[in-house]
Amino acid sequence: MPARRRTLLKVIILGDSGVGKTSLMNQYVNKKFSNQYKATIGADFLTKEVQFEDRLFTLQIWDTAGQERFQSLGVAFYRGADCCVLVYDVNVAKSFENLNNWREEFLIQASPSDPDNFPFVVLGNKVDVDGGNSRVVSEKKARAWCASKGNIPYFETSAKEGLNVEEAFQVIAKNALKSEEEEEIYLPDTIDVTGGSQQRSSGCEC
Amino acid sequence: MKGVFSAPGDYIHFKSQVPLHKISIGSRQWRYYEFGPKVVPPLICLPGTPGTADVYYKQIMSLSNKGYRVISVDIPRVWNHHEWIQAFEKFLDAIDVHHVHLYGTSLGGFLAQLFAQHRPRRVRSLILSNTFLDTQSFSASMPWAPVVSWTPSFLLKRYVLIGIRDGPHEPFIADSVDFVVSQVETLSREDLASRLTLTSGAASIGPLLLSDTFITIMDTNDYCAIPRELKDQVSEKYPGARRASLKSGGDFPFLSRPDEVNLHLQLHLRRVGVEAKPDIGLQNPRDSSGGGSSDKNKEKEDSDDPAKDQSKGSPSRDAKNKEKEGANNDPSNDNSGEGSSNPTSEDPIHLAASDNDGNDGSKKVNEEIPKNTASLICGQLKPMLLDIRVVMETQLILATQAVELTQSYSVLYLLLSLYLGNLYNTQCHSLNCRQTV
Repeated sequence: MPARRRTLLKVIILGDSGVGKTSLMNQYVNKKFSNQYKATIGADFLTKEVQFEDRLFTLQIWDTAGQERFQSLGVAFYRGADCCVLVYDVNVAKSFENLNNWREEFLIQASPSDPDNFPFVVLGNKVDVDGGNSRVVSEKKARAWCASKGNIPYFETSAKEGLNVEEAFQVIAKNALKSEEEEEIYLPDTIDVTGGSQQRSSGCEC
Repeated sequence: MKGVFSAPGDYIHFKSQVPLHKISIGSRQWRYYEFGPKVVPPLICLPGTPGTADVYYKQIMSLSNKGYRVISVDIPRVWNHHEWIQAFEKFLDAIDVHHVHLYGTSLGGFLAQLFAQHRPRRVRSLILSNTFLDTQSFSASMPWAPVVSWTPSFLLKRYVLIGIRDGPHEPFIADSVDFVVSQVETLSREDLASRLTLTSGAASIGPLLLSDTFITIMDTNDYCAIPRELKDQVSEKYPGARRASLKSGGDFPFLSRPDEVNLHLQLHLRRVGVEAKPDIGLQNPRDSSGGGSSDKNKEKEDSDDPAKDQSKGSPSRDAKNKEKEGANNDPSNDNSGEGSSNPTSEDPIHLAASDNDGNDGSKKVNEEIPKNTASLICGQLKPMLLDIRVVMETQLILATQAVELTQSYSVLYLLLSLYLGNLYNTQCHSLNCRQTV
């Protein structure tokens, strides 16, 4: 049966309001872009089938609201995340400065088993705007931050023009898969110790 | 062994807040919970073979808190699929509900699809979880289906229970299994026989009029009693449906992964245009302009007493009621199984368990008060007589079971153990209780 099982990879996109999280997801999944801004309420997700080394995976991409900290829907979507994508707008300094907060927020809420090695990917979005003239966060600065947080992969993207989106999500999926596999090796141990005795008393009262 | 199971604290809280309804329609008894604002089109939860209306208590509590209306039913005693469709339609008429959103898990998902197929105008959307399109494989694995209605209760229970995966589970899944097992114990022989008949009777889902965009498929990705091939058939039938897979959760994600399930249910309801009413005219989840502020309002609402939505009393009385409920909820933290003494409880194990409790009598009196205030808030005061009836009913069931056992035991025992032996081989590799058969 495990051979038939299609692995589910869960990806969470975080970042300030208006940096283009929904657009990036839509560009990747639906190959569509809309200039019209519509704030995400709470959270929403899209799924995409991806193929890697002749195995099929389901990528479940969670797009979250940047404005309020999405308490309206709780934090359930963090559970079991395999990769976290941090997005900022290269034209808005504040959105870059907030990356650290988003990263910490994620580590608190998702509490991954190995926070130091949890896969993040950083995307500097909207590089197309004004031909790059309105840009305020340099690539160098962004890469330096990524390096300081344990060599987070970094991409400069444009959801509007589809620039680097596919490439970025390929790395996202690959890293998510790595994390998922480690998780699978790690989990059975914990199951045996905590759940084992409890289960025996109840499941087998036949 | 059974006494070991103690009702979880939040379940005790649920029982103190949400009244259990029992109505008879024709010859059929319907047992259901209903909670949340009446103006909202309801989400109706349909459990699987081992489930009761109670298994969705976490959904009822959480979604009603957010302003949705949730109804959770026991599958009634019907003996074929046609009867199910008619009975369910009459039930909806009786509770004055016209359009529904159905959330069905395993057998419940199958029944939801059947209803959507035959009564397309009433079903607005579907959430299908770990379910199937066709009963063929179940009837093939149940060659003893023709004698189901004669089979003694304990064998039916065992058959239902072996469908639940045994073996080490993580704590949340183990708890969910415990809860469902405790619910199976409350089911009568007829209940179980009827459900197994529905599972094994030949039927398959035809084309639905409902567009795929109104369907969400919420399967657990780890394992469940429904084979993967059957679940895949469901996904293939509705290619445009939304796939809200859960990484894990086992057979009962509504109990083991309640926050994720509730999130998906909420997202589904939002997508299909159900507007939550946490307070009258306060919240419109589709309103994109005021996302931030409206969500804050929503959060504030969450902490409020859910019963408040339906309160008809004055504010001061409301506060008093809350106080009493608060007092009632205190003991919910110690898991000593007093949830059983709720007046609406008709759970034989629970009753048996509380017999061992020395101070049960006094507790019962204490708990009846808040229960009734809760009923008052919801405008549905139930006569105390019901409790006595429930207890008598339980005893009657136990007595008939005992008689029935001695009668049919010897004849069917050998026969069924043969069948079950085969079933074990095919279905439960990891089961180690075969020798007890």
